[in-house]
Amino acid sequence: MGVATGELDALVRDTEFFRSLVENGSDAIVSIDEHSTILYANQSVERVFGYAPEELIGKKLTIIMPDRFRGDHFDAVDRYIETGERELDWSDIQLPAEHRNGEEIPLSITFEEHSYEGERVFSGIMRDISDRVEREAELERQNERLERFASLVAHDLRDPLQTARATLAVAQAGDDDALDDLVDVFDRMDELIGDVLTLAKQGQTVGDAVAVDLGSVAEDAWGTADTGAATLVVADDLPTVAADRERVRTLFENLFKNSVEHGSTSSRRGSADDSVEHGSAADDPVTVRVEPLADGDGFAIADDGPGFGDADADRLFDYGYTTSDDGTGFGLSIVDEVVRAHGWTVTATAGDGGGARFEVETR
Amino acid sequence: MTGESQGRSTVLVVDDEPRVCQAFELWLDGKYRVVTATDGETALERLDGRVDVVLLDRHMPGLSGDEMLDRIREGDHDPRVAMVTAVDPDFDIVDMPFDHYVSKPVDGKTLEEIIERLLELDRYDGSLSDFYAVTEKIATLEAEKTSHELEASAEYGTLVERRDRLETAVNDQRAAVDDVEQLFEMATGDREDNT
Repeated sequence: MGVATGELDALVRDTEFFRSLVENGSDAIVSIDEHSTILYANQSVERVFGYAPEELIGKKLTIIMPDRFRGDHFDAVDRYIETGERELDWSDIQLPAEHRNGEEIPLSITFEEHSYEGERVFSGIMRDISDRVEREAELERQNERLERFASLVAHDLRDPLQTARATLAVAQAGDDDALDDLVDVFDRMDELIGDVLTLAKQGQTVGDAVAVDLGSVAEDAWGTADTGAATLVVADDLPTVAADRERVRTLFENLFKNSVEHGSTSSRRGSADDSVEHGSAADDPVTVRVEPLADGDGFAIADDGPGFGDADADRLFDYGYTTSDDGTGFGLSIVDEVVRAHGWTVTATAGDGGGARFEVETR
Repeated sequence: MTGESQGRSTVLVVDDEPRVCQAFELWLDGKYRVVTATDGETALERLDGRVDVVLLDRHMPGLSGDEMLDRIREGDHDPRVAMVTAVDPDFDIVDMPFDHYVSKPVDGKTLEEIIERLLELDRYDGSLSDFYAVTEKIATLEAEKTSHELEASAEYGTLVERRDRLETAVNDQRAAVDDVEQLFEMATGDREDNT
């Protein structure tokens, strides 16, 4: 009884036009009988499931299902055959299938029922939607990132706003010095907005990477990074990397600012009550070195300041994390975003002399 | 201590920004005895049995406001604590033992309202102030989170259950204590000034 295995297959193959249509489509097509035995599978099943069509024909459909769906499948088919009622919409059902290698593949499946020589045949047209699922997941990650970002921006503007309001109240009560402090508060808000805009632009991946001479970018960045009395030493054997030059410059600027602000109190900008939280080297201007990594696959930015001290190593690159009274906490987040956009990695370590050292692996 | 100050309640202001401490003192000084500290360690030193209300910043270098809140609760004194902070409230506030949460920037009038409400709570017994604190957290989260996020949060669900239990307890007491009604409404109707 039933359609003989291979008979339907033979028929489709006989009809050249339909054969070509069905076989060469990008969707996998599988037909089964009432007992879920596979009668036909097109060429695309190999690409989607890892089985050649002839390996599937004659087998139960559950061979391409994850374990947990197998029982339900037979029950659902039995119920449908008994009652004729569809329990779910038969088009664009999203279900995972199991590839030969054991991995699950998200599918969009459309079922059709037809009859062949009086027997009921069920065909599933199955599209691999891994890319779509991945895109959706990526969108979700981006949304979460955006939300986290917005929340931190709100925080970082509310804080100086409170300080501005407080400082104004003090000034109104007759303390004229407070007015000068207001200027600092506004400068801080201005700087924060600049950082936020820079950071927002780092989200995208790098479009056109060109060969970038790291030494010259580092020198350029130093010139605009407000580095005061600090010194830059650039090694002459730095590698050339494929990168977006402007963004690498942003990376250097932010790492230099970090070294200068945390490496020596004398060159730190900001209020007069800065505590000497960065140790004994406090009054010497910091020296920053840019040098190749020992294995040649990247570069390091190291300073001779007091290192990371009490800073929480796990949080260094987080949005808004800072140990400084007047830092925005966005500098190293910007660095992290530039690094990610290039597919690189960055780690913060202690340098030879105990200073801060950032290693960027470009491979 | 002058004779006048003995009748006033004491407020401890903790904020790492000196101008903020200064302004809070300016705004509150007429009505309360104000003590300030610009870091958590100093604040703990200045916290004694006379402090009725602590206004506590969350994001501070050194001892953070969250850590300080735990230290206050572990200590000998039991002041009312309002978090006054620029940090957006997240579900982590569910387990934080504060009485009130307000987002910066705030002005003197808002601070005074919060302090008055917290002082009022001291006149009643524990279950009502627990009820107030839980209601306050729910309102804080509802103002911040989408309904979808709230639904998905186990912490929020627990909080609502706790509120319902406390509400029953408070209602039982209400039958006995007339005066509580006014406070009860105040706690449930509390939001306009925080959003």
